[in-house]
Amino acid sequence: MADEFVKGFAILTVGLLVWMMFASWFNTPSFYEAQLIGPGPEDPTTYEAIALIVKDAMLAFAIFGALTFWVIIPASRRAREYYATN
Amino acid sequence: MSDNDPQTETDGSGPGIVAPDDEVPTWRERKERTTGLSRLTYEYFERARREDQDLRQESSYVERDVLGFPSWPHETVRNLAIGSVFIGMLLFLSATMPPHLGDPANPAETPEIILPDWYLYWSFGLLQLGPINPELTILGGEKIMSDELYGVLANAVVFGAIAVIPFLNKGGARRPVEQPFWSSVGVAGVTFAFTTSALAVDNLLPIDPNITFDLTFLLPLVAGAVSYAVLKTMREGYMYNLNQRYYRLRPPR
Repeated sequence: MADEFVKGFAILTVGLLVWMMFASWFNTPSFYEAQLIGPGPEDPTTYEAIALIVKDAMLAFAIFGALTFWVIIPASRRAREYYATN
Repeated sequence: MSDNDPQTETDGSGPGIVAPDDEVPTWRERKERTTGLSRLTYEYFERARREDQDLRQESSYVERDVLGFPSWPHETVRNLAIGSVFIGMLLFLSATMPPHLGDPANPAETPEIILPDWYLYWSFGLLQLGPINPELTILGGEKIMSDELYGVLANAVVFGAIAVIPFLNKGGARRPVEQPFWSSVGVAGVTFAFTTSALAVDNLLPIDPNITFDLTFLLPLVAGAVSYAVLKTMREGYMYNLNQRYYRLRPPR
């Protein structure tokens, strides 16, 4: 159980750190406005487009990875135990 | 006593700590043990627990007062690991995020919002207690001290309360359930810190300032009362009795 928690936590931390890095470059127009969730660049170059895709992928990875290890895997184990005993 | 008896060595020692040559795992075998670290951790702490148990049984003390891990190596290694994680996060963010250089400070212009750092909002909020500065009838409806001095003295009252509480309660409880009253005092204090912080920024809140001012003193009482009721209720029941037996070891009062 503790192992699954720290796996999900590591995924959440690493994913959000990388997301934060890209979001601070491309979605933070100014320190005094919306930070990290501001509008993206109007006309992204190829590299910027790749970075934006990686940013969204890391956000999804963080959320769904943590959910997988914290919710789905323990729930499936419980379900398997339940149906094995009954 | 045969030559194959593993308990007997020619030098009189017991079974060796060093494994015989034919039992030492090769590097390939070591690499193939994928559960190495978790197994090693488990064995390490299990051995520490066993040593602790043996020490207790050999000791002339009836029961040791403090149950815990030694600071070296257990606590030190854990703290180094946690510290490394946070230092690594800081290094990563400072190396990869674009640096922000704000506008230079303009000494000729007063900023729109004057506020201390967020962790001092509670103290800033205490300076705004003017409405409850009493106007004494014997002084002809005048205030005995200015609102500013009143706010500064309110800070002294808060610091005094924090200084006095350790003398009233020595902190013998391991969990909040064991002392519901003092736990609810703590909850009320934390809530008061938040509400005075909100009072400091009441001109930014979408609430009427008068309501904010009343809530500053009402919410801590409500939170304290609710937590007292909840903790009192939690004192009854099977789990509480079980935990009370399980956590008999506690630090000295």
